[in-house]
Amino acid sequence: MNKPTGSEIRLASPLKAWASRFALLLLVGAAFGLMLIGRTNSFLVEETRTAVTDMVTPILDAVSQPVDTLSGVIDQAEALANLQSENVALKEQNARLLHWQAVARRLEAENAALRNLSQMVPDPQMRFITARVVGDPGGAFVRSVLINAGERNGIAKGQAATTGAGLAGRVAEVGLRSSRVLLVTDINSRIPVVVGQGRDRAVLAGDNTDAPQLLYLGPTAKLRIGDQVTTSGHGGVFPPGLPIGVVSAVGDTGVRVEPFVDWAHMEFLRIVDFEMSGILDFQSVEAARAASAEAETAAAAAEGPGQ
Amino acid sequence: MRQGVLHRLDGVARTISPFFVTLLLVLFALLPLRVTDFAPIMPAVALVGVFFWSVHRPDLMPIWAVFLIGFVQDLLAGGVWGPGILGLLLAHALVVWQHRFFLSASFILIWCVFMLVAAAAMAVTWLFTCLAMLTYIDPDPVFFQFLMTVALYPVLAWLFLRGQRLFQR
Repeated sequence: MNKPTGSEIRLASPLKAWASRFALLLLVGAAFGLMLIGRTNSFLVEETRTAVTDMVTPILDAVSQPVDTLSGVIDQAEALANLQSENVALKEQNARLLHWQAVARRLEAENAALRNLSQMVPDPQMRFITARVVGDPGGAFVRSVLINAGERNGIAKGQAATTGAGLAGRVAEVGLRSSRVLLVTDINSRIPVVVGQGRDRAVLAGDNTDAPQLLYLGPTAKLRIGDQVTTSGHGGVFPPGLPIGVVSAVGDTGVRVEPFVDWAHMEFLRIVDFEMSGILDFQSVEAARAASAEAETAAAAAEGPGQ
Repeated sequence: MRQGVLHRLDGVARTISPFFVTLLLVLFALLPLRVTDFAPIMPAVALVGVFFWSVHRPDLMPIWAVFLIGFVQDLLAGGVWGPGILGLLLAHALVVWQHRFFLSASFILIWCVFMLVAAAAMAVTWLFTCLAMLTYIDPDPVFFQFLMTVALYPVLAWLFLRGQRLFQR
């Protein structure tokens, strides 16, 4: 192969220089065009994006497994080092949890009896789909992850994504075999929650930092650091009572919440299929959109022959 | 005859390899590394690829390839379309504009220039992301991302150079 030299690009020819300048202008224009399309036509953006993620997810799925194994080995080595102390801690925790199990069983029975008494409408059944996290775009602008389950596996838009610890995010885009989960820390994430003993209503709003903010708190709300934050179920998107985190800061800069989820070790997500059609009734919206598009084309076809 | 076809295929592979290597880097950057607090400051690998080949083999990193790499990156990131492309196009344009400068530049000098170009490109990406989302995004992670990218440049550049030498044998 020839050695790369400056003459290879031959910018000396003025025609070529103009052509390359024109190409630059054209492509910069195209980038601005895409930005506009992204703002105005979210449907097209989503379709394109899910098509691409569907294409790359099998690759990511295959490649991310050795990465997981490697980080698993590191975790194991760490665990071996702390075996003794961990064992003691676990025994203590086990004793405590057995006590809680007894309490939970008693409360469950009592709860069932009381519900029976008051003839309360039961919450819809929940179904879980477990998926592996195969992609994390990282960067400063978005907080989302890709999972290796999609429409085929029963994932639908709006479902809650949880880890064992608590709520991680919401399914934002669904492809055939992959989905994108918008994490609660993302700048576009808004989740209705209840906080603390007083069950004060608020909205948990992400801002791309690790500690999302609580917005729209009532003036009477009295919050303390350590208060539990759970989903409220308002809007009918998420089931009520999913734990999210604890209040970590109360001050002039707002109320901050520290989520329970360990973002660095999020290998699997449990997608909660909460069988309830809430405000975000995507299916009917999309059906209506498809129907109106069909009606338009039918109308155009009917007009066509007359002209 | 057969050798002619193989030779030509070889030539094609060499011509498109910078483009595909950069695309692969963008894809692999998606892998969850499970390292605490690493995701927000993930280095901008596409920028390294585009800059490196715009400097050393501008004939193999045409502007449409830069555009495509940017588009794929923006698609996979799940954010707004466009700002990432604009950053990469700016980096490419800056390098092509001052191409003569790089002909005799040492590695350290090129690295320093990369720092400037990366700063400009990432600032443009940040600015247009803010504009497109109509919100103010905290620039601190972008700054740390910039530092990570600058730190990663020698590593990737070394790998690219080794790869190129392997090809040229």
